[in-house]
Amino acid sequence: MPISTKIMERPEAVETSYLRAALKGMKITLKHMLNPKKVTQQYPEVETRLHPRWRGTHRMEVHADGRPKCVACGLCPTVCPANCIRLVGGEDDQGNRYPVVYEIDEFRCIFCGMCQEVCPVEAIHVGQDFENAEYTRERFVYDLDRLMNQDHPTTLLWDPADPLSE
Amino acid sequence: MTTQRTIELPQPNMESGNMLVNIGPQHPATHGVLRLLCELDGETVIKIDPDIGYLHSSFEKLGEYRTWNQIIPLTDRMDYLAPLMYNCVYVMAVEKLMGLEVTERCKIVRVLCMEMERIFSHLLWLGTTAIDVGAFTPFLYAFQERERIYKLHEAFTGARITTSATRVGGMMADLPEGWTDQLKDFVYTFPDTLDEIENLLTRNGIHLGRTQGIGCIPADEAINAGFTGPNLRASGVDYDLRKDRPYYDYESYEFDVPVGTKGDCYDRYLVRMEEMRQSLKILDQALARLPDGRINVDDPRVSLPSKTDCMNDMESMIHHFKIVTEGIRVPPGDCYFAVEGSKGELGMYVVSDGGEKPIRWRVRPPSFVNLSVLPQLAEGHQVSDLIMINASLDIVLGEIDR
Repeated sequence: MPISTKIMERPEAVETSYLRAALKGMKITLKHMLNPKKVTQQYPEVETRLHPRWRGTHRMEVHADGRPKCVACGLCPTVCPANCIRLVGGEDDQGNRYPVVYEIDEFRCIFCGMCQEVCPVEAIHVGQDFENAEYTRERFVYDLDRLMNQDHPTTLLWDPADPLSE
Repeated sequence: MTTQRTIELPQPNMESGNMLVNIGPQHPATHGVLRLLCELDGETVIKIDPDIGYLHSSFEKLGEYRTWNQIIPLTDRMDYLAPLMYNCVYVMAVEKLMGLEVTERCKIVRVLCMEMERIFSHLLWLGTTAIDVGAFTPFLYAFQERERIYKLHEAFTGARITTSATRVGGMMADLPEGWTDQLKDFVYTFPDTLDEIENLLTRNGIHLGRTQGIGCIPADEAINAGFTGPNLRASGVDYDLRKDRPYYDYESYEFDVPVGTKGDCYDRYLVRMEEMRQSLKILDQALARLPDGRINVDDPRVSLPSKTDCMNDMESMIHHFKIVTEGIRVPPGDCYFAVEGSKGELGMYVVSDGGEKPIRWRVRPPSFVNLSVLPQLAEGHQVSDLIMINASLDIVLGEIDR
């Protein structure tokens, strides 16, 4: 049987000298003082490094001529667990579908990234960014222009460039 | 027409001169938003009434309005101390109901995730419990190590706490390059920190004085109360779902189930410390047997086609649209699936009517059951011991209130 039961031994309460316990603790603390591990991040003086898979603020990809890649298929508002995407689709004179209204409420958003996971044309992305503080609540509803003008890198998840993430 | 109900609060027995003291809900020693109504005679606890519900988010009801995959982000918000574990259990329950067998690689990856989360959760317990009895140093060391697991979360799933990493039939993505090396590094270097913390606490006279003989519960009473997990094992019952109802080939791993003898706070401490070491052993074995291959099942009912296929191939595109818009169909029926969570038996019960959403989703919460024993454990002890007993139960309020 590879899984066995192990009965934990209890030390008797012999070392009742509080001074000894305190000194032992001080020894370990001093050891760390002399040989410190540098774990504190000096944010914001030193920029935080995010992992390439980080799921943060959204970004809409654009074609070379400046049109959004979105074809208003409606998959992202369908799959969004937080119901934070508002999409109204339209059709231009050449019959191409495009989003008339595309809004993401970054307050409601839970950054699960499912919108990007289901997007069939790689238009909406979550990106490597988290510094999105604003002064008013209204500013957190990102409209299409704002999403298109985001310039942070996008996440490596669900990116055909990386086969490991599908 | 709504009916108003009044909640009976315990009244102090004024003739005896007892005092009613309110601990929480905004108190760091309650480990969340838990309110404890205590009737005290001087420093001695006469009666306690835990008042829960301050973090109620109605997760189970919300789940009835979400498709099967949309529930996953809810699960990691329930226990924010072991998010990946909750992600895994939920999809495991759904897969059991669907009769879906995940790939070998996915199984091992989930085992890796779950054992990592056990360490992750126990480390937080260790740090905060030590703080509650006045030892500040272990807290800092434990959180340094937790930060490394946060980094692993971030590298794998793109988020530190709200991982949402699983999908029915697999994972959100495969492990990134170099992730297993990072985890290996953690497995080999973490015992040093654990030794250091054990040096500080295990034979420390102050710690022994604060924990030994406090909050004892014998084995039969612990079973009666519905204790599971490390709390039950501290009372000497070797009940561990990984051993007694193995899932994901746990029976083929070599590890020990630590049990205590007396069931006091000190035994709970010992058992959890040892569990972290045993989890490292499992992680080491699982890393060695991690196979290559697909991580998601090749089943058109649940798996989305790959992005490249979806953008280049009409059939895949139609398939993609069908899965996303119609959702995954789970056959009618109900199913309960439980794993050994970091806090006890963690079970998910899902009921399906064949549709795209569950008609009921219920969680068997380990900490909720464990908390219910607190009044019995703490009666007759001092107020300072009450804090220690509450800490030693390792509760998480997100999951208690759900």
